[in-house]
Amino acid sequence: MRSLPDGLSDAPKVQATDNPSLSDEADALRRDLIEALYASGGGHYGGSLSVIDALLVLYRRILRVAPAVPRHPDRDRFILSKGHAAIALYAVLRRVGFFTDPLSGYAQAGSRLEGHPDMTVLPGVDFSTGSLGQGLAVGLGMAMALRDADRHVWVVLGDGECQEGQVWETAMLASRCRVGNLHAVIDVNGFQECAWPAPHPPGTPPVDDLAQRWESFGWRVWNVDGHDYRRLCRVFAAATTVSACPTAVLARSRKGKGFPLIEADPLRFHCTTVTDEEHAVLLGSLR
Amino acid sequence: MTLRLGDHCGLELARLGEHDGRIWVLDGDLGDSNGAARFAERHPERFVMAGIAEQTMVSVAAGMAGCGRRPWVFSFAAFLCCRAYDQIRVCLSQANQPVTLVGSHSGGCASRNGRSHAALNDLSLMTSLPNMTVWAPADPADVRLAVGSILREDRPAYVRLPRRTVDALPGSPARCRWLTDPAPVALLGTGLGTHFAVAAAAELTRRAQPVGVLHCPHVVPLPHAELTTLLGDVEHLFTVEDHYPAGGLGSLLQDAHVTPQLTAIGWPAHWTGQSGDDEDLLTAHRLDPHSLADRVLAALADPPPSRPSSQRQPV
Repeated sequence: MRSLPDGLSDAPKVQATDNPSLSDEADALRRDLIEALYASGGGHYGGSLSVIDALLVLYRRILRVAPAVPRHPDRDRFILSKGHAAIALYAVLRRVGFFTDPLSGYAQAGSRLEGHPDMTVLPGVDFSTGSLGQGLAVGLGMAMALRDADRHVWVVLGDGECQEGQVWETAMLASRCRVGNLHAVIDVNGFQECAWPAPHPPGTPPVDDLAQRWESFGWRVWNVDGHDYRRLCRVFAAATTVSACPTAVLARSRKGKGFPLIEADPLRFHCTTVTDEEHAVLLGSLR
Repeated sequence: MTLRLGDHCGLELARLGEHDGRIWVLDGDLGDSNGAARFAERHPERFVMAGIAEQTMVSVAAGMAGCGRRPWVFSFAAFLCCRAYDQIRVCLSQANQPVTLVGSHSGGCASRNGRSHAALNDLSLMTSLPNMTVWAPADPADVRLAVGSILREDRPAYVRLPRRTVDALPGSPARCRWLTDPAPVALLGTGLGTHFAVAAAAELTRRAQPVGVLHCPHVVPLPHAELTTLLGDVEHLFTVEDHYPAGGLGSLLQDAHVTPQLTAIGWPAHWTGQSGDDEDLLTAHRLDPHSLADRVLAALADPPPSRPSSQRQPV
């Protein structure tokens, strides 16, 4: 873990008390996520499971945050621009200590765990999201405001979200402004809610040639296995050393990672409820 | 050279920015027209030329606000409010972030630019968003009042400004005030509409129909208490605005139930804007002083049914 800034030195560090391996912790998070969605009436299984490993690595190894002081002015910032994966963020934020609200309250009236992340109610959410395409620009504004303070801003987008025009407006402006403390992580799981119909061939990705597109907008780009903790750590750390331009990490992931039932049918499990039998199958897939 | 109100806004921000480092200004490549350049000249380190990208500009400002800054976003009202409406809805209104939108070139007087540049329903769009404060200043003193007031609050705001230059109004600026002596028949304006009302009142005086003129630059939240007091002896109120009556000041006053007789006047609901000199457009759509006087006199001669007194709600 990178050193904490002076202002955060008194805050509890983001380390699990029993210091489990990231792999073990990810298994526990996947159980949390599956049980929360089952208990609360379903949700975005596929895209939450594809991104949760990257979120875990960021919060355990990269972000300088203090769960006991969620609004600490010297913290790094994080935005889940693909806000429909909120349950994955909530599972991580809860595990690292931002709150203790039960995940089973997800998207229920009276719970702070809104269907999409809401900064006005939940500690640890640095900005509200839900309408796709906006988070990267918010992150750019944060990065501009915090550039002189050596704070980093991380924004996680979906590959389908990269169809939004605002993403590319922002990509252009961030590059022109040479905002080196802005880091995009694109969860490239290869699917969006609906498949592209004929004449597009089966398996047509949401956006072709993502690396070339980001590079052409002036971003430094890495490709990495979105479920390889060691490589994610290494790439994220490398991104923070770049100062001349914004950086994009294309985290190649599997929609529904860890659950063969979901991986085999990513379109159905984009956002869904599951039967009791399917839930049992999912639990049986856990290590 | 007479300055536009956008220039006055930029200058006031530049002045306050000398001692308030939280103030940033973002512009969508119209700073020479909308006043943002006035700030950029003094504080280039806190000015962001965001390019022709209103959606990103609004969201960037929201991120800055999330880090304790007080960003002001300048563009033409039409592009700012309409192109970036979802960003305003989600990043400013729902997230309650203290970003101020400065929409210049609002209303129907779009000059040679024509309908694509007119903003005829921007008040409707902005006043219907939760958390949003809305101002429509009508002179430089109003602008200074609005800027100071907005900076003392911690919420999103919209400042609606006209393209054309305007004269100073009489008296001291306030959220709502009489510009004349109170009278039983009164014209109430906001923004450029107040200048329409002032001109119409002069014409009505020439026609031996004395009217008073009120000005209400603080559109949302509507200053109910002040309005209730100011309108105490008004029997028939006419709202006059550089906007469609629906969703603008007229609608807000109707919902406020603060006057027995209300006639709302603005651009015709079917009109989408067009190129032309201001005076030609105003005359064509019966917002020039003579037409307004005609409309007021016609309404006084054939008033709509009074609202039952039980509907007048004390505030």
